[in-house]
Amino acid sequence: MEALLPRFRAAHTQVLGVSVDSIYSHANWGRSLEGISFPLLADFHPKGGVASACGLYLADNGITDRATLIIDKDGVVRYAVSVTPGGKRDIAELASECEKVDREFGKGLAAFPEAGGMPAGSTLYVKSKCGFSRAALLARDNLHLAGKLPVKNVTDDPAAREALVKAAGKEQAPCLVHGTTAIHETPEIIRFMVTSATDLAG
Amino acid sequence: MIAVGTRAPDFTLPDHLGRKVSLGSFTGKRNVMLLFYPLDWTPT
Repeated sequence: MEALLPRFRAAHTQVLGVSVDSIYSHANWGRSLEGISFPLLADFHPKGGVASACGLYLADNGITDRATLIIDKDGVVRYAVSVTPGGKRDIAELASECEKVDREFGKGLAAFPEAGGMPAGSTLYVKSKCGFSRAALLARDNLHLAGKLPVKNVTDDPAAREALVKAAGKEQAPCLVHGTTAIHETPEIIRFMVTSATDLAG
Repeated sequence: MIAVGTRAPDFTLPDHLGRKVSLGSFTGKRNVMLLFYPLDWTPT
């Protein structure tokens, strides 16, 4: 058991021994084993109380079955096997079982909500060699809106310039156009992007 | 024996050094492997 403890630790598993012995018996036994690096729990008073709750108390003999339970982080029993009191556990196999349970952690978690998008048909118009355009583009990247907010450069693209004039009435860029609204001030453009991107209601 | 898929009953027991150990204290943090064994001085 001691030799394989690192594997259990790596699988985020706390190992606990349980028997009906008192803490004094545990302490003596632990000393005779030259120290034991996982807790031995005394299911002593009421005798076998926890074992009974798990259906592992052998009342006729006043002892606990030799059995292993693996309980996941949510408190759910994932493995329950008895090898009978006289049997022997396969610790390596138990380590594999713990690793299996550990790998599944996270599968039950809800998927991340998709980040908010931009109103359909939004376009960010920018121009080259412009600090304000650059600030708007950086905000777009940082808010993970790259795939959701198309960009048109009015310096390189005459058709974009024409579209901007048509939508906003003037050539000034940066400009965020959505629906019939055109936003020209860079802080307002960024504020609008932040509001849209952080709306997780959908 | 308790069935796979059911919730383990919470408990608090003293360990061999007299510290109190609760199953619930590991919830959300670590998996727990309980090694039930008949008596001390037998192999775990």
